[in-house]
Order: sequence, then structure tokens, then C-alpha cells
Amino acid sequence: MSKIEEVKAKVEAGKSKLVPVLVQEALDEGSAPAEILQAMVDSMGVVGDKFSSGEIFVPEMLIAAKAMSKGVEVLKPLMAGDGSASLGTCVIGTVAGDLHDIGKNLVSMMIESAGFDMVDLGVDVPADTFVQAVKDNANVKLVACSGLLTTTMPALKEAVQTIKTAYPDLKVIVGGAPVTPEYATEVGADGYAPDAGSAAVKAKELVTA
Amino acid sequence: MLTKRQNLLETIKGGNPDRFVKQYEFMNLIMEAPIGAMCGPGQTIKNGWGITFTWPEGQLGGFPIHDDAHKVLKDITDWRSQVKAPAVETSDEAWAAAVAHANAVDRNEEFVTAFVAPGIFEMTHHLMSMEDALMALYEEPEAMHDLIDYLVEYELAYAKEMVSRLHPDCIFHHDDWGSQRSSFVSPEMFEEFFVPAYKKIYGFYKDNGVELIVHHSDSYAANLVPAMIEMGIDIWQGVMTTNNVPELIKKYGGQISFMGDIDSGVIDFPGWTPEIVFEKTKEACERCGKLYFIPGASHGLNFGCFPGVYESNDEAIDKMSALMF
Repeated sequence: MSKIEEVKAKVEAGKSKLVPVLVQEALDEGSAPAEILQAMVDSMGVVGDKFSSGEIFVPEMLIAAKAMSKGVEVLKPLMAGDGSASLGTCVIGTVAGDLHDIGKNLVSMMIESAGFDMVDLGVDVPADTFVQAVKDNANVKLVACSGLLTTTMPALKEAVQTIKTAYPDLKVIVGGAPVTPEYATEVGADGYAPDAGSAAVKAKELVTA
Repeated sequence: MLTKRQNLLETIKGGNPDRFVKQYEFMNLIMEAPIGAMCGPGQTIKNGWGITFTWPEGQLGGFPIHDDAHKVLKDITDWRSQVKAPAVETSDEAWAAAVAHANAVDRNEEFVTAFVAPGIFEMTHHLMSMEDALMALYEEPEAMHDLIDYLVEYELAYAKEMVSRLHPDCIFHHDDWGSQRSSFVSPEMFEEFFVPAYKKIYGFYKDNGVELIVHHSDSYAANLVPAMIEMGIDIWQGVMTTNNVPELIKKYGGQISFMGDIDSGVIDFPGWTPEIVFEKTKEACERCGKLYFIPGASHGLNFGCFPGVYESNDEAIDKMSALMF
């Protein structure tokens, strides 16, 4: 098994102590940082697919993401200023009135693992704050809004519409327990995903289309 | 006409119920027991474990806060110095209202039901956040086993006091084990960490006169049903439509019963109507049938989030009883 293949396998297995060592070994053998990063992104794609299909569960996804982030720490100094490795910035948050953070955090983690730089606004985020974050951060390509309560669906709608009014070409993805694909379309979102694994796939699809 | 208690037993034992069990009607919930501070609408509180909860005004529930300033357990390997269980209330005064309520219940008609929340899994993530708790199951399994044992010992100490005073017929125990699409952990991990804990807890209740264990998890958890049976759960309340309840009834009816199959989110929302409630109730009753099934919203207590929904659901169940019995 090549060193890069080992990195892929150990990210998928969530070996956060081993991955940075293997990443360093891959670099020492002459692999390019971008190539190693891509291997880890691919690995997280497999993790996301397995989560979406019910083959693995949240803890397995969390430890895989942690392993990848440990590997990325090794690569970061070597890739500073190399924008080509990023899919752009994604602003994410749970909408106003809603304090659910677990699903949003998982989605954030998986979108980051797909190659985005994340700006996490946390929970209970007013619509205007999403817009301000787009303004304040460079290269924002995507906004992800989460809503977990039937009572905060109006806030989700308001967030999407406020963002779209300010930035009509910016892609917006939505999700959360009461959200359906139909509702996403109705409120003017560009995409919907039912879980964290699919959110990463959809995010990439939206910005590379 | 059977009493509520008799009708429930006929339903879950595969006998001859004379109507659908109507949501929580068989449980007379004793909510006065001193189980610890609970967060109400618009409040922010710190409970006996030091966990801070906030419930935004106008929203549907409280949430534990896990920023650095509020997280109780910051390092699982050091849990012994960071987690301190509150004292179990043992004074007559603290239990008086609950005892009076329990004594006033006609036990031929209803089950005197003690309410217990949060559950063991919930306690682990209330203390340290969901991400930390789930990662710790992999990264520090021994410490998690020890912490879970500590939480179980606390619940057993509370259970001992509660059982001796209320003599409940039924326990209604919360512990959410999944999202609407999947269980939080795999069945294997659940078996390792949580099944032994609940076998102790539910075993204690059953050994001390409790006839019925009703467990609330408004989620997907179909993959955990064998574990629920092993733990001694009689009724899984909160079962969502994502679980394919008719299939579960076919597979496990007689070993466990299912209460729900009407997702709260589709009937209990600002724009609800009696027609929507009836439609969803009718679908649930028709697909699940008369045995091993109790129709009701997945919500974990005997009221709706929006005024009139719970009552409308009761009316819809009455109509379905008239149509199907």
C-alpha cells in the first residue's frame, strides 16, 4: 500500500494520532501537499457516503474528521497562499430563534472536509448576520442555513430570502429535520441535503456547477 | 368497556382491546417528584449537576449550553474531579406533593407513572457536548464506562428513594438515542455502553414492583429495538415514521409495543388543522393496526406544543376507534 493510500485508509478509520505521522512520511517520500490533501478529501467523501447510507454513525464520522484535521495541520504551512486547493468559503449557521448545533456542526465539518474554508456563525443567527458575514469574508461561494424546529422555518425562509436579495448569485443550501426538498425550493434555496454526508456532496456540486 | 389500564394491557399483550389506547391516557404522570431543576420557556437555569440550560422565549424546548464558560466536563479523563452528582432528595417535605398525587390515583384505571429525565446517554452529552461525548466513546472508552457507571449509580439512588415513596406502576423514561434518520451510535457501540446501564436501571424498577417501562426516544432507532427488548422496555414511545413501524410491529410485536407513528413535526406546528391531525392519525392507525401499537404524536409528554393539537389528536383517535373496533 502506498503512503497516500495509507493516509486515506487511516483517515477513514479515524486514526488521529497516526494520520499526521503518515502525512509527514508521504511528504518525505516526495508526494505533493495538494495530492495528499486530495486523498484525505476523497477519504472523507467515502465517510460521508457511508454515513448517508447508514453504514457508519456519528462517532465514526467525527473521529474521521478529527483525523483529517490533524493531517491538514501538517500540510497547512506548506500550502499557505495556495488558493487552488480551496473550493471557496462557506458561511454556515443555525437560523434565528433556533439553538440546535449538533447537525449544523456535523454539516460544517463535512463541508470543510470536502475542501471549503468555513465561517461558522454558530446558532440563533439573524438573517442580516449571514449577509454581513458574506460581506466580511473573502471568496464566499456558499451559505448553509440550518433550522431544526417547525417554529423556526419562517426564520429559515427569511434568512434565505435576505441572503438572496443581497447576493442573488450566491449559492444557498438548507437543511434540518423539518426541511424537505420542496420546502427548500419554495423558500428559494439552491440546494437541500438530508444529512451531513450528502451536504458535502451537494455543496461541492453547487459551487462547481 | 375496559379501563384505560386494562385496555393498554390488552393492546400490548396481544389480547382484545376494545379501542385504541389514546396517547398518554394510561399514564397518570407524577411530575411533582424532586428530580431536579427543569428549564421552562424563556428561562436560563443551572441544574444540580452544574449544567446550564436555556429555553428561548417562543421556542419549543431548552438546550444545554456548551461554550467554554459553561461546559461542565472539559476533559473526560478527569471526569472524577469535574462531575459531581447532586444529592438525592430524601426529605418527606420534598416528596410530599408527589406522594399525595400518587396516592390519589385510581390504580385500577391508570398506571401511577414516574417521570425520569434526562437519560444516561443524554447526561453524557449534557455534561460535555454531543461531539465530545460521542468522540470519547472511541477515544476514552474506559473513562466513558466509568462515567456511565457513576451516572447509573446516581439514577439507582434516586430510583430507590422514588420507588419507596411512590410505588409507581410505570416508569416513563426519556433518553433520545437518535436523529429522525439514524441512531446516534451503532448498535454495537450501544450494546457495549448503554445496554448494561439500562439493564441495571430497568431491572431495578422491575424488581421493585414496576409493571411497565415506557421509554421515550423521538427518533429513528429501529436498529436498537433488539437492545430495547434486552433492556426490558415494554413500550417505545416516540417512534417516528422513519422507522417503518408496521414492519417493527410484525417483527417484534409481543416482545415490545410501539407508541407514536405520528411525527410531531407534521401535526404540531403553527399552521396545524384538525384535518391534518386526523389524516396523519388515520394513516398511522390503518397501517399499524390494533395490537402492539398506541397511536400518538412523537412528542415526549402529554401535551402539544401548540394549543389544541393534543386534544385534536385524541379526537382523531376516538374517531379511528369507532371506525376500526
